[in-house]
Amino acid sequence: MAPDVLDPLIHVPARLQIMATLAALPDGDALSFTRLQDLIGLTPGNLITHLRKLEDADYLASEKTGSGPASRTSVALTQRGRAALNTYTETLRGMLNGI
Amino acid sequence: MEARDAARLLAQAQRKARRDLDFRSPRLSLLAASVVLVGLGAIWLSVRSQHPYRGPTPAGLAVLYALVAIRIITVIAAHRRASAGVSGRSVARRRAEGVAVGVALVAVYVFMGALAKMGASDAVVYGTYAITAPLIVLGALWAGRSAIHEDWPMFTSAIAIVLVAAGSAFAGPRGVWLADAIGCCVVLLAYSASQAWLRRAR
Repeated sequence: MAPDVLDPLIHVPARLQIMATLAALPDGDALSFTRLQDLIGLTPGNLITHLRKLEDADYLASEKTGSGPASRTSVALTQRGRAALNTYTETLRGMLNGI
Repeated sequence: MEARDAARLLAQAQRKARRDLDFRSPRLSLLAASVVLVGLGAIWLSVRSQHPYRGPTPAGLAVLYALVAIRIITVIAAHRRASAGVSGRSVARRRAEGVAVGVALVAVYVFMGALAKMGASDAVVYGTYAITAPLIVLGALWAGRSAIHEDWPMFTSAIAIVLVAAGSAFAGPRGVWLADAIGCCVVLLAYSASQAWLRRAR
């Protein structure tokens, strides 16, 4: 079945994993880049590419704190991102129930 | 990616994230059940033949405190592992919860000191009150926290702990230790089983 109705931004294995992982955090919480990488198992370059695409769509927000070697980047789902994942999940559920 | 594959991947990612970001586990609850059974059981062994009742012996307390220390260390280690890299509102909320628990426990023992100063018997101060009051206070705090987070298995267990503690007071200053050891152990074992079942079901 061609899942054309699914959000193409989320419907990519790596980005689906990123969104699902960040959605497991309580609202208002963020996850460091290194922990997210550790949880998903992507290379840093690959993860940055996918994060940028999601951030451009305002599905997630990133924040850099500190400077130099002590700097830390945290990412969190935005309200728009959470809503998009909910819609994606509901659409997926509807498609599978229809099979 | 087919819809079925996406659904499978989404479920896997959600399950993994929930497990990795949550410090609680059936194993930790099993350890808590063992700590309660052995620790409070050791106190019961140290007081069961006292006539009149004087209170837990230093040896009994040493066993209990050692087990509680092991429990605290394992919880802190699991919590640190799970919350590594997490920042935001929940971190501040957890700190406030820790302060509330600490203050409540200090207040319970300050009140215990007041009871002793007012001339309450050793059976009340170092028996019934010493174990039931902290369990009731901690259970009530935990039930409130669980209700806010809609964690119903934890809520049920916390309420059960409060009821066990209140009911155990009728067992007298010696029996209260055994009643709480067995009662709380059963509650924690049931909670551990429910956690394991929920993990499999999700």
